[in-house]
Amino acid sequence: MAVAAERVGRVAYQPVRAWWRNRYLLSGLVIAGMVIAYQVWPNGYPWPSALTWNSLPGYLDNFQTWLSDQQGSADPSVIFTILNGISTGLGDFVSAIASLCHDLTWVGTFAAGVLVALRFGGVRASLWVAGAFASFAAMGLWDEAVQTFALVAASVILSLAVGMPLGIVAGRSDRFLRAITPVLDAMQIIPAFAYLMPVVILLSVGPGAAVVTTMIYSVPVAIRITALGIRGVPGNTVEAAQALGSTRRQILVKVQIPLARKLLLLAVNQTILFALSMVVIAALINTDPGLGGLVTNGLNTNPALAILAGFAIVIMAISIDRSTEAMAERTDPARAHVTEAKRRRLWLETGATAVAIGLTVGIAYSLGAGAVFVNAGNAPAWMQEKIQDALNYVEDPSTWLFSVTSWIGNHLVEYGLQPLLNFFTGTPSPVMLGGLTLIAFLLSGWRPAVTTFAMLGVIGVIGEWSNGMNTASQVVVALVLTMLLAFPLGIWVAESKRASAAIRPVLDVLQTLPQLVYLIPFIYLFPVSIVPGIVAAVLYAAPVVIRLVSAGIRDVPANTVEAAESFGATRAQLLLKVKIPLAQDAIMLGVNQGIIMVLAVVVIGGLVGSGGLGYEVAYGLQQGKFGPGVVASIAILALGIALDRVTRGNRQARLEGSR
Amino acid sequence: MSKYLTRRRRLLLPLFALALAAIAFAGVSSATAGGKSCGTVTLNEQAWAGSTANTYVAKYVLEHNLGCKVNVTQITEVPVYQAMADGKTDAVLEDWGHVTQQKQYVAKQKTVVAEGVNGVIGVIGWYIPDYLMKQYPQFKTWRGLKGKETIFKSPESGSQGMFLGGDPSYQQKDRTLIKALGLNLKFVSVGAEAAQVARWTQLYKQHKPVLFYWYDPQYLNAQYKLDQVKLPPRFPGCQDDESKGGNPKKYACAYPTYILQKFFSKKFATSGSPAVKFLKKWKWSNTDQNVVAGMIAGQHMDPDKAAEKWVKANQAKVKAWLR
Repeated sequence: MAVAAERVGRVAYQPVRAWWRNRYLLSGLVIAGMVIAYQVWPNGYPWPSALTWNSLPGYLDNFQTWLSDQQGSADPSVIFTILNGISTGLGDFVSAIASLCHDLTWVGTFAAGVLVALRFGGVRASLWVAGAFASFAAMGLWDEAVQTFALVAASVILSLAVGMPLGIVAGRSDRFLRAITPVLDAMQIIPAFAYLMPVVILLSVGPGAAVVTTMIYSVPVAIRITALGIRGVPGNTVEAAQALGSTRRQILVKVQIPLARKLLLLAVNQTILFALSMVVIAALINTDPGLGGLVTNGLNTNPALAILAGFAIVIMAISIDRSTEAMAERTDPARAHVTEAKRRRLWLETGATAVAIGLTVGIAYSLGAGAVFVNAGNAPAWMQEKIQDALNYVEDPSTWLFSVTSWIGNHLVEYGLQPLLNFFTGTPSPVMLGGLTLIAFLLSGWRPAVTTFAMLGVIGVIGEWSNGMNTASQVVVALVLTMLLAFPLGIWVAESKRASAAIRPVLDVLQTLPQLVYLIPFIYLFPVSIVPGIVAAVLYAAPVVIRLVSAGIRDVPANTVEAAESFGATRAQLLLKVKIPLAQDAIMLGVNQGIIMVLAVVVIGGLVGSGGLGYEVAYGLQQGKFGPGVVASIAILALGIALDRVTRGNRQARLEGSR
Repeated sequence: MSKYLTRRRRLLLPLFALALAAIAFAGVSSATAGGKSCGTVTLNEQAWAGSTANTYVAKYVLEHNLGCKVNVTQITEVPVYQAMADGKTDAVLEDWGHVTQQKQYVAKQKTVVAEGVNGVIGVIGWYIPDYLMKQYPQFKTWRGLKGKETIFKSPESGSQGMFLGGDPSYQQKDRTLIKALGLNLKFVSVGAEAAQVARWTQLYKQHKPVLFYWYDPQYLNAQYKLDQVKLPPRFPGCQDDESKGGNPKKYACAYPTYILQKFFSKKFATSGSPAVKFLKKWKWSNTDQNVVAGMIAGQHMDPDKAAEKWVKANQAKVKAWLR
């Protein structure tokens, strides 16, 4: 996953090979061999129990018990005091943001948000903020929204504070990037469900633990995209700066960071969206669960409310994203020609904003406005009723819609997913292991093949072979569908401004709407357990891939494109021979993130019937079986690394061929 | 550099103004209501309707009769033990038997205290719709399923019949049970309760066969007519925790009846608050819980309002709790 570790030899040159040595053909033959083996020995030779190490879950459980004993003992170690301090500090940070909103009263919060956005982001930004506040008020979810905002704001600020510096270092040092990449993979792939309990033992429940859980998931993306941005700065520009005698520091501050601006902003944007996507899981261990709590608890008691809360999360995401983006644009160095007169006017505006906020808060107090808005009247009930009507329609198995979707779902499972699943789990394990390793070798070379072999071996040894193969079959399908959907869309978005504008809100919704929310309708429409999980994975992974692919293509230097144009390249040639090859780093990061996102949803899949490893992890947390949950998570991670090695190799092989 | 600084200062100024405004008005805001000696009680609501019903009825009485301020947390089942140990949550009013956690926190650490039963009796078993029972009376016991398994076929169960498993967080041993009873069924997990409900209610509405893990008290049992398939009786030494493994035959017995318990944080239990005395006495029946849960989950009534309605209609029971 070492993105852009090598920048040499970017020529898209395919060495000539005899047709029978085509690596795809050979891989196909390997698969054919595996299918034959499956036909000959169906469900024979499962992973041998002699090669299984069964005591790992027990050790892990003992470790957790030990940890809990330490924490609960009469005089706990000083480490727990420190951790307690950290947790309290983080919790206080979150509460401070929430109580600031409360103290301003809802009127003051509204005014402050809108006016600050107006001053720093302009009219559009302030309209976004105003719209968001108005919808929280109308939904009757003001206080929940404040709680969630506080949690997300704290998590994002801290994630960026940690992630951006590390990302800059990773952008400048190959060795550092290579060292942290596996850690980042683990942070993103290992499901939060697996480590929620130790987090709770160490940090107790509450906003502090929620912030940490959120950060574990959102820091990696900040690091990754920052590093990508710094690396994307053209080498000759950096060399030019060096030639002019710039110090390393100057190169960073005056060349690399400004030129990487676009991707740094993408890093901020994605960190916000990732943090918001953890809101639901963090609510499981938070004492002020906010919108996320409504989603998890509402699913059983009031699904309409859960869906409403889900949309409140989306609205918050989009409005924060749009207004911070407007603010960032306003502070774009390219636009900053600040004259003396203009500076004075800006000062005045700032002053006026502050006074206006102060006045509004004062008026709000004198009129006795509450800390939160509560008088939404019939609006929330009306909205829930409408959502419930829609749900009732979806839940009704006698509609024509259901007859179409259930037919699709049933056939997809019967003729696609289930046979594939049977093939993965039923093929003799030595054949499966050997075959996948061979494919990794053919597509990627020997080194990735060794890693693939080792990772699959790990899955077998820890006793998760059958579950692992079950999940692998679904992950492969989800991944193929994601790429088929995301690549063309990403390219289209990059090429057309209008497409980009049209598709962006859809991506935002998909990335931030909690999966549990949009899964409800899918559960009813595709009443077969595996399909909703795959749909969720594709819908969750595709936006990130689309974004990275389009950002990569758009970031291809304009002069290169112009040069190609001046040679008379057609649009198709431009795309296929210039833009896509040059955007390869971003595209590879897209594939990598696609794998990670698909695996991140495996647990959600477990909650809606995908079975396999996801079920084990969900089961592990909720039944208090820590060991089995962690073991299944390790298997998910191993699966992720193996998949990454198989897919990444293609590029490496090409690089080697061109040398 | 200087331009950079001024820009930053420009950003900082309104923040200062905000902070000042906040400090100026912070003092005015908080005047706590109620008072007495009760203080704040934190109850934990869990992800099923019955738990919501417990929590909000207790909340209503605590607030209106004892003048407590009640916070409701929604921490999930296992981490909530740690939350009680740390004193972040005061009480869980319905626990379905988390043996490992009880050993750790109640018996060993003594940071959580068992405070008796909540009156609700939990029943877990294999259920089928009533229309199916009428069609196949032999399904009264598990033996009747033998040879008839394939009527439960579904796309994901292949040639076998489908057994629809329960929410992963609930107590279950169906995989082993199916093996032990030698039934030609495939255990299919559809995940969380919402997903499981989606699946069987849909089949129910289409009057199709379905066999699934289910439990009582559950408000849906009032909406759908379901019957239990009798499993082999319990025998001495019969097992329920399938993760322990071993001979499947040891698991070949019905689920135990769950006497649901209340757990308090040690800190809270020894705090002497009047809320402790009330919550210790608080206890109701499956029927009571189903009525309130039905209002909340069936009619989507606001939990506070549902609790109020029940309390007003059941003053005698409430008085007994407060005595």
